[in-house]
Amino acid sequence: MKRTLLALLFLLLPPSLWAAPDGKALYETHCSVCHQTEGKGGIGLPLTQEILEQLSDDYIAKTIRNGRPGRIMPSFYELSDAQVKAILQYIRGWSDKPAPVFPKVTLKGDPKRGKPLYMKHCKKCHGTDGSGEGSGTGVTLSREREFMVMPAALNNPGFQRSASDAMIADIIRRGRKIGHMPSFEGKLSEQQITDLVAFLRTLRPPPPIHGMKEWAGRPVYIMESPYGFKETVANLKEALTGANFRIFPTRYLEQGLADDFDVNKKQIGIRFCNFKELYHLLNIDPRLGTVLPCRINVIERNGKVILISPNVVEVARLFNNRELMEVAVVMEEIILDVMEEATL
Amino acid sequence: MKQIILLLLLLMAAPLHAGQKLLMVRVNMKAQQTMDVLKETVREYGYEVAHVQRCDGGMAKFHYKSDFYRVLFFGKLAEVRGILKAYPELAPFLPLKIAVIAEKNQTVLAAMDPTALARLYGHHPVLDVQFARWHSDLQAILEEMRTFRKPE
Ligand code: HEC
Repeated sequence: MKRTLLALLFLLLPPSLWAAPDGKALYETHCSVCHQTEGKGGIGLPLTQEILEQLSDDYIAKTIRNGRPGRIMPSFYELSDAQVKAILQYIRGWSDKPAPVFPKVTLKGDPKRGKPLYMKHCKKCHGTDGSGEGSGTGVTLSREREFMVMPAALNNPGFQRSASDAMIADIIRRGRKIGHMPSFEGKLSEQQITDLVAFLRTLRPPPPIHGMKEWAGRPVYIMESPYGFKETVANLKEALTGANFRIFPTRYLEQGLADDFDVNKKQIGIRFCNFKELYHLLNIDPRLGTVLPCRINVIERNGKVILISPNVVEVARLFNNRELMEVAVVMEEIILDVMEEATL
Repeated sequence: MKQIILLLLLLMAAPLHAGQKLLMVRVNMKAQQTMDVLKETVREYGYEVAHVQRCDGGMAKFHYKSDFYRVLFFGKLAEVRGILKAYPELAPFLPLKIAVIAEKNQTVLAAMDPTALARLYGHHPVLDVQFARWHSDLQAILEEMRTFRKPE
């Protein structure tokens, strides 16, 4: 009886928990949305043969686990070891070159001697603090393919935890075709490369970004207006125009769901946008459409008029994209100013 | 014995995609077609399409190759009404939306994971259930889209 019951329960388990994991299916569920079908590259970096032949299995597996905090690539802690292995095997199938294996030694270089070398040879692309220059990370979803691969953030804790000294040294020696990183073979001595790696290990991630304390951890900015509904809406539009936003036609929150005569006309969304800013933002993160356009809702309820906007800093946090957080902190101030002006 | 059953039940309940903040899938279809199928799918799950927001109007001017970037808004009137009445502070996140972003012959769909809001709303017992429900609908809709094969 016991055994039958157990067997039954076993059968009820989702297949992912007992069958051998299917690497292709896992890749398509978790990775292809960013890295594209067969790793051709999208918002995530390409994982083509040219790239894969320089990356060890250990690095890829750890990258899947650690992700890249603040650089879009999520961390997949919930995948089992067997699942990570299955994804790896599937990815490797795109390349007929074997996976490189690097010795697990800590290179004993001198970071002090490595620093000037970094400033001379690497800073231009990877930035003074190693956080990678230029905006965006991988290719954006819709940008021209020509300016695609951005320099890696060498100070990223996810990178630091995933890349071994020997692998980093190998990339310095050989360069990377995708992204145009030059080879330093013959230009730097082995000792110099070792010193460089030692310096890279001293790079630290930039401090976390916070919004206004007052609103931290709250889902929305919410303010009560001392004015009537119509007046509040007019004030809000004026304040938005004053802040250089373009305003879209107003929509009722229930519009499209309720009949025209039935729709609650005291619940509206004022949608606004700044197209120049939008261009900049979509370069930073093409997934922003999930939260655009900006919207402040005006709602009358029990005789009170309230203004509500999503807390843009808290929402930006969902994207794991540090650059976006920087913009969100600025936006937060602007939106709160506008809301305050409208309710003054 | 009881423990084994409990353990197994717990395992079964464990969300396999826990900890996601954006729900995203790649669809092997052009964007316009994807949008059409998405509207149908959303309706199959009992939602009404509220409207489609065009974001791609000015994009070409800004060197974007993407010709298609739209957001589909959808909801259930009774649900939206009930929630706004009891919890107006949820207004900014209603109706639900999915962004439809062209990537050559394929399309990327992205939505905010409603369960990511649970913490911000202080793990409110009623809202948590609502967020979980939306999460599972969105997840199921996106999964249907990901595996959709157009009839030849
Ligand atoms: C939300 C988008 C996204 C998803 C999903 C995603 N990645 Fe990434 N991935 C990225 C980005 C962006 C980078 C580049 C990070 C950086 O700036 O260094 C990256 C980097 C990587 C790298 C390092 C490449 C290199 O050249 O060093 C590997 C390997 C990788 N991802 C594998 C995966 C795998 C496997 C999955 C699925 C389990 C996955 N990624 C899921 C966006 C994503």
